[in-house]
Amino acid sequence: MLVAEQAARRGVRVGVVDVCTAAVAALPVGGAGLSAMSRTARSHPLCSTDNISEQLEELQLTLGEGPCVDAFLQGSAVLTPDLLARELQDRWMVFAEAALEAGARSVFALPLQMGAISPGVLDLYARVPVRLTAEELADALAFADLATLMLLDARIDETGRPRGDPAEDLGAYRAEIDQAAGILTVQLGIGIDEAFVRLRAHAYAQGRRLAPVAADVVARRLRLSPDAGPDHSDEEP
Amino acid sequence: MDQQLLAKTFVELADNLVADFDLIDFLRLLTDRCVSMLDASAAGVLLADRDGKLRVMAASDEQVRLLELFQLQNDEGPCLECFRTGAPVIVHDLTREIDRWPRFATAAHRSGFGAVQALPMRLRDETVGALNLFRAAPGPFDPPATLVAQALADVATISLLQQRTAHRSTVLNEQLQTALNSRVLIEQAKGKLAERQGIDMEQAFSALRAYARSHNRRLADVARAFVDDTESLAGLGS
Repeated sequence: MLVAEQAARRGVRVGVVDVCTAAVAALPVGGAGLSAMSRTARSHPLCSTDNISEQLEELQLTLGEGPCVDAFLQGSAVLTPDLLARELQDRWMVFAEAALEAGARSVFALPLQMGAISPGVLDLYARVPVRLTAEELADALAFADLATLMLLDARIDETGRPRGDPAEDLGAYRAEIDQAAGILTVQLGIGIDEAFVRLRAHAYAQGRRLAPVAADVVARRLRLSPDAGPDHSDEEP
Repeated sequence: MDQQLLAKTFVELADNLVADFDLIDFLRLLTDRCVSMLDASAAGVLLADRDGKLRVMAASDEQVRLLELFQLQNDEGPCLECFRTGAPVIVHDLTREIDRWPRFATAAHRSGFGAVQALPMRLRDETVGALNLFRAAPGPFDPPATLVAQALADVATISLLQQRTAHRSTVLNEQLQTALNSRVLIEQAKGKLAERQGIDMEQAFSALRAYARSHNRRLADVARAFVDDTESLAGLGS
């Protein structure tokens, strides 16, 4: 897989920067950048593939305006095939001018999200006007999804708990996974981002797949408690 | 089929498609009407995500057991076949399909269902999902009812494009992404509310929906505010 190749080139395990470089390799864009965004804490850039994307990340966070900010606040992709388009200038006047000066002509901002879990935004830029095809947009969204899981996994690292597998298939039995995360916010008294992280960490620690663990949480066969580590839980035999 | 109810239903759906459109609320309404109009005991709308996995977008009942019946069909079942072929799949007697769909047929039968239909949700050349109808009693489905069901599946498909995305996109991928993300929000909110108030998933969904309606807000927006704790939502215990 493209992302894994990128990491292999760096000789390390897969990280968010590899998602960015893979996106640039796969899509008709010149560069990619990722920022961690939050409504409560400070947002900050995480990585970028070149100078222009680095500048774009800094610009949006300093100015507080731009496709990346809008994408985060609205929870949907903001695609601007041409920053020179008239109607845009009214929307992000300062940003558009600065971005053009930096060398970006089109910008695509994809929010990293799973429902209310929204740790950041993936930004792609091109030096010429570009309209993404349906397939390219689908690929971009896939990179965004992967980056979401990786950003959340990075938080697991910080707490010292075991990681989940970022490539784990969340699709098929999805509803219980999302419900379980909601349940854990109450059981553990934490936010939804962390609840999801804890759910994955628990599954990984138990050597089980995420979907069955989520099903156990929803069926109340499994309850997690706040003062416990990932191995402690009230589990019915 | 009750002609008056049929007419009333289409007027109601049309009304809800235009004014203050809320996709999740709309699709719940659609599945409820399938049950009241079409000789069905339960109905669900399934959408395929980018990886081709069928995800539940709406159901006439949010109980976990019914949800499972829909999700099982990612591996086998009428919806999977319908999605792959783009053609309706109609089964009169689930007890005869144990070989065809061992897990699904058994689970459906155990849940008290005897017959099932899946109607394709098609947009131009693509099949984007399926409308799934279950009935308790085995036996043939009324042909006019199946015709109406297909029309409702088409309405469900069109409703996807009614969503307001940031820049009025008609790009299907974006519409699907937004729809699926809205559903994730709702599932997260259901879990939180069910746990907090000690209620089941259907009750939690009803509470969220009632709040959204009485405050004239989109379900997904209420769900987000509830999960994020960004507002105090009186009546939802927050």
